[in-house]
Amino acid sequence: MSGENHLARTDEAQLYRDLSRSNLVTTWRWFAGVGVLSLVLLWGIGVFVYMMMTGMGVTGLNRPVFWGILIVNFVFWIGLSHSGTLISAILRLTHATWRAPILRAAEAMTAFSLMVGGLFPLIHLGRNWRFYYTIPYPNERGLWPNMRSPLMWDAVAINTYLIGSLTFLYVGMIPDLAILRDKSDGWRRKLYSILSLGFRGTHAEWRRYHRASTLFAILIIPVAVSVHSIVSWDFAMAKVPGWHSTIFAPYFVVGAIFSGIAGVVLVMAAIRRVFRLERVLTPLHFDNLGKLLCTMSLIWGYFYFTEFLTVWYNRNPEEWEVFSSYGRSFLPVFLLMIMCNFVIPFPMLCMKKVRRSIPAIAFASLLIVVGMYCERILIVTASLARRNDPFIWHNYFPTWVELSITAASFAMFGLLYMIFSKIFPIMAISDIKERLFHTTERSFGGASAETIARVEEGEEEGGA
Amino acid sequence: MSSFVLIGLFDGVDQAAKAGHALRSLPLAAENITSISGVPLPDGSVTVDPRPIRFSLYVVVFWFVGALAGLALALATYLLYPLITAGKAIISIPPTLIITYEVAMLFALLATLILGAREMGLLRFRARKVHEPRVHDGKIAVCAVVEPGEQEIQARRAMKNAGAIDIRIEEGEL
Repeated sequence: MSGENHLARTDEAQLYRDLSRSNLVTTWRWFAGVGVLSLVLLWGIGVFVYMMMTGMGVTGLNRPVFWGILIVNFVFWIGLSHSGTLISAILRLTHATWRAPILRAAEAMTAFSLMVGGLFPLIHLGRNWRFYYTIPYPNERGLWPNMRSPLMWDAVAINTYLIGSLTFLYVGMIPDLAILRDKSDGWRRKLYSILSLGFRGTHAEWRRYHRASTLFAILIIPVAVSVHSIVSWDFAMAKVPGWHSTIFAPYFVVGAIFSGIAGVVLVMAAIRRVFRLERVLTPLHFDNLGKLLCTMSLIWGYFYFTEFLTVWYNRNPEEWEVFSSYGRSFLPVFLLMIMCNFVIPFPMLCMKKVRRSIPAIAFASLLIVVGMYCERILIVTASLARRNDPFIWHNYFPTWVELSITAASFAMFGLLYMIFSKIFPIMAISDIKERLFHTTERSFGGASAETIARVEEGEEEGGA
Repeated sequence: MSSFVLIGLFDGVDQAAKAGHALRSLPLAAENITSISGVPLPDGSVTVDPRPIRFSLYVVVFWFVGALAGLALALATYLLYPLITAGKAIISIPPTLIITYEVAMLFALLATLILGAREMGLLRFRARKVHEPRVHDGKIAVCAVVEPGEQEIQARRAMKNAGAIDIRIEEGEL
């Protein structure tokens, strides 16, 4: 291509090999990883079957805590799913020049988190074989889902978001699948030929592809926000102290973005190391995501304080009892949440050295993921454990059954990601090439800097 | 004799642009010339896409269709199976709005995928379309539908003068 841009200086065959390393090279570590994760997942499936055969009595659920760690997992995974597609969509719309290497990892994280998270309401159902009762279709039983229930809003919203996220991920991959089709042989070639839908990279295809990507990004953002708002309304619509709050929807959205960004950082750090993508996923990407994390930590702290302040000042006895329990029975979980979400990561992420050090920012992100998990434990179980009637107060502890299913959910997420990275390009090859194509070196006296050209939509359509 | 596609392969965008300009001034119609590249090129830089992009308008239409479907789903539920919940009205507006919104967004997302793919000309597996895999190695292909004879000779000359490293003929659609 043009002698000036960075793509022209790059050996594209080498670039392809570097970015497709996850597809081209399979080590024994990959098989070992898949083996271990499969074993954990199989164990979890076995435990789930045992729970289904025996009944929900094998869990720690008991009056008044009927929503336990399974629902915590549901909120956690849906929250984790929030940021991948959202970040990707926002970065696409704002033409953030550093976005290309993180798009695919983030979008895949959303899709797999949703798949895992969406299973938990079904696992929690008790009579799991009757899950289809939630599907609205005419039937002889005269049953119909109650659309007034927030649980039904949830089912509709999560399905919309899952379909939207999967299509967003897929559409983003089409040009890369076309590259893989032309570079591979055997069964992979057949698979990529079908999945790339005959994309060739003609001028008309690229123009329409860009329009479709932009439309997807525009549409997926409000869906992402609505999904976590609706998850919060599962709780906020109930007159349970600690749940019935107007701030819950934005608070959940903020928490979801916060944990989602931390999840993206962890996934990026992992794939960077495993697939040797040091030249593509640079400290700059972690630095930028670190700034976002730092901001979200502040916003999360602000929301939490606002929620606490109104309850503290009001001293409504039912609500105050829930918050008081954070200082007694739930103190370890509460302290872990505050330390991991704000006290430790916020000052850490204020430092550029931490944001640019991959182990340090991965550690901060891990703390945030743990902290947000603790936050969900407090929201789901503490509020139910201190419901209005003191005579039924009862603390909740998960049993080995729930913990096994939780471990299996993490294994399932890891397994899906590992299989995906083996079959599909984990890096957005076309987006990275496009960025290189638009980048040139410009000199300022004795110094030089990267300059990135951007074609405005209007100009593009009008013809240059 | 029927027309075919002449494909010229170029090392850089400047040579490809020169060829595109020369082909247009032959004159060849803009809809009979296109480029194939590994990265998107701005409209007009090498070739011009004369067809307007229409599917985004239909996405809006499908958003409204989805909204109607969501509305129907919620309303039909209330009317077919009237459940008096907590003394609330049989038809409750806020849940209806939520279901309507979600189904509308679902329809819009699916319409973007299906109509976008359709307008891109994808999914037509049986159609024979011209293809140049070397664009993934940094090359740019300029393709033109030409009639055999004088037009083909002129197009070949235009591509060669612009610096084409390979020129070949392929039967198929652009």
